[in-house]
Amino acid sequence: MKSQVEVQDPITDRILDEWLDEPAPFLSILHTIQDHYGYLPEPALRRVSQRMDIPISDLYGTVTFYHFFQLEPKATPDIRVCENSACCLHDLDQLCEEVAGADLGIEHSGKIEKISCPGRCDVPVPLLIGEKFLHGAKPGAIGEAVEATMPLPPETGQQECLFQHIRDGVSDLTVALEKGAWKSPLLAASDPEKLISELKTSGLTGRGGAGFPTGVKWEVVRNENRGPKWIICNADESEVGCFKDRVLMAHTPHALLEGMTCAGLVTGAEVGIIYLRWEYPEILESLQAAIDEATAAGYLGEDACGSGRPFRIVIRRGAGAYICGEETSLLNSLEGKHPFPREKPPFPTTHGLFQQPTIVNNVETFCAVPPIVEHGGQWFSDLGLGEQNGMRIFSVSGDIQRPGNYEVPVGTPLRQLLVEFAGGPLPGREIQGVTMAGVSGGLVGAEDLDVRLDPASLDGLGAMLGAGGIVVHDDTRCMIKAARESMHFLKEESCGKCFPCRIGTTRMTEILDELGSGQPVREGIMEEIEDLEEVLGETSACGLGLAAPYITRMLKKYWPDQIQQKLNGSTQASEGADDE
Amino acid sequence: MMSNENRMTIDGAEVTFQPGETVLEVARRQGAFVPTLCYDERLDPYGSCRLCVVEVEGRRLPASSCTLKAESGMEIRTGSDPIRKMQSTLMEMVLSENPDDECPRCRDIGTCEVHDLAEKLDVGRERFLGAISNASKDDSNPFLLRDYDRCISCYRCVRICDEVEADHAITMTGRGWNKGIATAFDGGLMDSDCTLCGQCIYTCPTGALADKKMVGQGEIPGEVEVTRSVCPYCGTGCSINLHSRDGKMIGVTPVLDGPVNEGALCVKGQFGFDFVNSGDRLTRPLIRKNGELTPVSWDEAFDYTAQKLMSVRADHGPKAFYAIASGRAPGEGSYMLQKFTRAVMNSNQVDNCSRG
Repeated sequence: MKSQVEVQDPITDRILDEWLDEPAPFLSILHTIQDHYGYLPEPALRRVSQRMDIPISDLYGTVTFYHFFQLEPKATPDIRVCENSACCLHDLDQLCEEVAGADLGIEHSGKIEKISCPGRCDVPVPLLIGEKFLHGAKPGAIGEAVEATMPLPPETGQQECLFQHIRDGVSDLTVALEKGAWKSPLLAASDPEKLISELKTSGLTGRGGAGFPTGVKWEVVRNENRGPKWIICNADESEVGCFKDRVLMAHTPHALLEGMTCAGLVTGAEVGIIYLRWEYPEILESLQAAIDEATAAGYLGEDACGSGRPFRIVIRRGAGAYICGEETSLLNSLEGKHPFPREKPPFPTTHGLFQQPTIVNNVETFCAVPPIVEHGGQWFSDLGLGEQNGMRIFSVSGDIQRPGNYEVPVGTPLRQLLVEFAGGPLPGREIQGVTMAGVSGGLVGAEDLDVRLDPASLDGLGAMLGAGGIVVHDDTRCMIKAARESMHFLKEESCGKCFPCRIGTTRMTEILDELGSGQPVREGIMEEIEDLEEVLGETSACGLGLAAPYITRMLKKYWPDQIQQKLNGSTQASEGADDE
Repeated sequence: MMSNENRMTIDGAEVTFQPGETVLEVARRQGAFVPTLCYDERLDPYGSCRLCVVEVEGRRLPASSCTLKAESGMEIRTGSDPIRKMQSTLMEMVLSENPDDECPRCRDIGTCEVHDLAEKLDVGRERFLGAISNASKDDSNPFLLRDYDRCISCYRCVRICDEVEADHAITMTGRGWNKGIATAFDGGLMDSDCTLCGQCIYTCPTGALADKKMVGQGEIPGEVEVTRSVCPYCGTGCSINLHSRDGKMIGVTPVLDGPVNEGALCVKGQFGFDFVNSGDRLTRPLIRKNGELTPVSWDEAFDYTAQKLMSVRADHGPKAFYAIASGRAPGEGSYMLQKFTRAVMNSNQVDNCSRG
């Protein structure tokens, strides 16, 4: 066969030699090659195919799946601009026009590429040139775009848990140790049953959005007899409007490493992998520094925390794909397979990475483990309001005075978060609605801002709490456009495997475009929406498609007048039908 | 009391199943109508078209039955009104992805899964209209037409190439709406690991992949006639269907229940049938007389050949004779040739052209 012709590429061979014995090396190998050549040359990929025993066609297809793997060399980088919710509240057309010709202090091609949310909604609009991010670009004020450390969470004056020491410089190991870091793994090693019991008491659930009880997950993996087991941190935070994991990793990395180490010692896994989204290059650097520091100090390594057992942590960098935040896609991505989601069951707890028992938890979930061990499960549970357990972090952005991350008790009213903590709407404005989850949890209208921020209360409205991103839209916004932007994101990030999601999110986006255009719409458009909602919400293969109907259902629930106005406008074909 | 083991309920009827069977397999055996587009019994369950969704007692959402393993005590409903409605909507969505013109597969072969199923579900290409997926690929290979305007992205072609043929010539590229099917680095099939076996064509449920030679044969009047036969190329004996119109052969398709090949064919059996309609084809024995090839009877031909062979042996000895059996001959034929070579011609010089 043609692909069996031996290809020579000593550089790629050297990279392969260096990586092949490392855990789940696939993404690192491709990144290292791309870092060297500036792209992924064909001979290099053919060499990877031969030595990793992946058919070259499959490898090629997998590479094309990701936004940030390049198959062609580029002399100067393009300018990538976020096109999603919080950023598209700005006039992106004008911004792009201004940016293309601007001197940004970094050489660029002047070409613009729109990208999905890179998790910097607190300082919109981010510009990505090569691997450098500039933040805060605004139409008419491009000069304000600067490369800077991302802001710490604004203070609320309320009791915090994960954020308690985040402003004390705990990203540094010495300071972290002063504040009590790296003690919890001792309990994990000496009394794992006790640790699991505390987790169960705490009521801690997965903070990535699915909300599975963490203690139960750890117990299942602990009880599995097969191995090697794996601990995976899902740091592929890609949901529009979510940037909480970024701030945790930047400012309290040792809490994450400590939580993962607990998981390793409880279950007997010896390797933890942090799957970090590509769009956080500065975190890649700082987190690796924290891992190196913890390893040098003996908290990670052959004798992790003096337990007598090995546990190490490695980072694997994603390459730009929202779907890889879905845990089974993430596993396929790490294994070097096409990152489509897997059918569940079996679940990762029994058949995870390389079909072995695996814990996959979100950054926030792991970070919550050390304080739970320190203060007890009951203490954490009591932090929640009423029946609710613990604290949660919400990323607030959009039309709001103080965008940022806020850690509040589960069950806090949405209005309190928005008004009391985040400063409320801009002067003279009113909040019209917010997107939930980031965007895949639908929308909540002004009339329901008193809803409590817990999964059941949001369910009750027909929306979803999800990963805790909230993008605020004030009364100047067209909510059809807001829904369109949310749907467009899901369309762009759909993996394309299952029919309902691939076709459904595309058709929904087209329909919302049509509704928002001010032009006459075809007959039966509302029935089409309803039928698409049904198929998406009932038959999609993973959470991405299943969540899509939240957007249109909530749009119809809270803003029927805006839809009716468009429908009326179209049937009467009235002049001046604007799209606000 | 009867044991509950390996028993489940499908549409109210209690049925038994073999461990490892999927709900789709059990339901279809029971005669239930469960539509599919991404399913091919030769391939691993994939669960992408979601048309095979069924209701499972105790589950909030319907499940795709092709990926759902049968379990004791399961209660399944296959054809409820909500399920049928979602299947119809899904089918309409699929049709909306494709261009609104005559399907070449229906025209040339007389049938295609997508349009057959649309008819069964009684839906047409009327709603959800918008962008059309994918794009055709110019491919200079002689046999396979790649018309991806009609692709529904079920990836059966990719999967049969991987799982059954193990050629791994094609892959899925991109993602979401911008997905596609390509070879490595998106070149032509001739530059890839493709062996032009044509398996992708016949698992394809649409007109996206086609036999170039069969396309356009629809101009010939008359209905497509299908005759089951055995491939004449080698001794394997693959079952094939010969397609003809108006007495003229227009193409070959593999037979799924062929005992030897189970739907597989190679490039020769699949595409190498030009000789059938060729004007150069020999239809009678010929003997060169006075420099001219002259048609003769079979008797004359046999006598002439026998006499010549005997004179070769008499004049030049047995070693002057060397027999090569055709790879197209069955084992029995090859045996007879070596028997003839040894017993009649007294030579041990015998070989077979497939001994390459």
